[in-house]
Amino acid sequence: MDFSPYNALNSHQNDQYESPMSLPPSATPRSVATRDDAHATTTNENRFYHRASIASKKSIPEMGPPSAVPSYHSGSIAPATPLSVATVAFTPRTVDASGVQPSLQNIVSTVNLGCPLDLKRIALQARNAEYNPKRFAAVIMRIRSPRTTALIFSSGKMVCTGAKSEEHSIQAARRYARVIQKLGFPAKFLDFKIQNMVGSADVHFKIRLEALQLRHDTYCSYEPELFPGLIYRIIKPKIVLLIFNSGKVVLTGAKQRSEIDEAFDLIYPILKGFRRAN
Amino acid sequence: MTRNMQTLSCRFHPESTLIEDWRAGDTICSECGLVVGDRTIDVSSEWRTFANDTDAKDMCRVGGPDNFLFDNNTFDTMIAKGKGKPAVDEFGQQKYKTTSVQTSSGDRALQDGYNIIRQMANRISLENRIVKQACLLYKKCHDAKCARGYEKEAIAATCIYISCRQGGMPRTIKEICGIAPGVSKVKIGRCFSKIKQELPNFILHEAVDVKNLISRFCGRLELKNHRLIVKVSTHISERAKEICDIQSRAPESVVGAVIYMACAIIGEQKPIKDLGLATGTAESTIRQVYKELSLKVSQLLPTGPEFSACSLRNLPKC
Repeated sequence: MDFSPYNALNSHQNDQYESPMSLPPSATPRSVATRDDAHATTTNENRFYHRASIASKKSIPEMGPPSAVPSYHSGSIAPATPLSVATVAFTPRTVDASGVQPSLQNIVSTVNLGCPLDLKRIALQARNAEYNPKRFAAVIMRIRSPRTTALIFSSGKMVCTGAKSEEHSIQAARRYARVIQKLGFPAKFLDFKIQNMVGSADVHFKIRLEALQLRHDTYCSYEPELFPGLIYRIIKPKIVLLIFNSGKVVLTGAKQRSEIDEAFDLIYPILKGFRRAN
Repeated sequence: MTRNMQTLSCRFHPESTLIEDWRAGDTICSECGLVVGDRTIDVSSEWRTFANDTDAKDMCRVGGPDNFLFDNNTFDTMIAKGKGKPAVDEFGQQKYKTTSVQTSSGDRALQDGYNIIRQMANRISLENRIVKQACLLYKKCHDAKCARGYEKEAIAATCIYISCRQGGMPRTIKEICGIAPGVSKVKIGRCFSKIKQELPNFILHEAVDVKNLISRFCGRLELKNHRLIVKVSTHISERAKEICDIQSRAPESVVGAVIYMACAIIGEQKPIKDLGLATGTAESTIRQVYKELSLKVSQLLPTGPEFSACSLRNLPKC
């Protein structure tokens, strides 16, 4: 393991020590992070830790010899002065000349309302609720803003679909919980988790799918008889992409927005290589 | 190895030929009768003569080769049909019979699957090697348990589809649905994707080969200039793959439109309805693909002396 700053050009090497930017603020070593504390003010040391990382981001082009050796032990706070951490060249993500950012189309999230529910009562009393026990064992409720649909089960668990951003998803889930609360059930808001995010993007050029399949056959599945798009499975991050002839790409299977962006950045140079000539 | 082998020769007659006597296992000089080498080992099969099995050419005690299609964990006992007096009881029936063959349940499941495959394959008279490939693939799926949850007919149909494709004579999924009653295209598609994912070392390099489809579908149409139309169609389809925007179309749709164009060019125009029946696609699909092809007709046509009969005059508009 060579820790010379010259090797740090390769951004993957940054992952060998816990880079402060790749972890959510709640997961920094010294903080005892609960969900509620995520946005609360951190301790003095944590603030310093963040400042150090910001400094390191700003001084990217510096390639001189390090003034102090940064500590590479995982879990330790950054050393004395912020500037010393800056010497490790923190390479930005490979610049994709696409300028295209995938837009989110759908977010599926689940939340536990924490109490058993009487679906019949909910269906009778609530507006915009449908319940057909012979077809499906849950109440299907819809709200207009954000435009979402929720499946509410008798165990108290709920699935919320249709939101176009993470904030909308949690907002909508809270609105449904409020509805259930107003109906008289002791609803809580436990374990909200985003289960799936779907994004779409357009590369603006036609793609030679068959050639792509020949090259990357371990990752691709392209059967025009079955489906007109090529199904590309990226291993890290674990995302499935549907790539179409027209250049439109659908990305799904992500738990975070960053995974979608990462996956698209990975696939864009590959797709550029299989651009259709005319 | 030739260097280490001792070349036998008689001490007194080094040039004389040596005779091999199998009964005694000796090698004898033909001139003087000196035994030069002894204890020759006969590597042919057993010498024991089984009194009644006179029709067995190779009297081998070991038995036949393993059948890869079955698990070969079970050994069965079979009693042959007796001929002498002690073998027959007072009513003339055999005294000792082979009782019901006990196949293990795993083998029975495999046997069922193979029967289903053979029945389906018979409906379209598939080649023997394709059927055997399909059976082997079925066994692999069964062992790897990768198509759990799908019925036997679905897995059998998928195995036939895959082995047809691997054998260079692809059958469209719709055709496979035709020979497999009760299995829908969606089911075969899902089973196929599952097998592709889960079966280790399974990569289907062969994309659906259009040439084979063209010749088969043309055969169904009963054309007069069959060979010429096949040639023209093959050429058009290859060119169309490069220049036209028909890439994501199912192969049978492309073939349908290509044959339609080829027939029209040669002068033997067939109605789209016939094309639809022959390829198993909808008429509107063929029309759509044909519209795409007709945008670039001039580049698609083959050039050459044998294609002089082609003319763009008769091309229909739709």
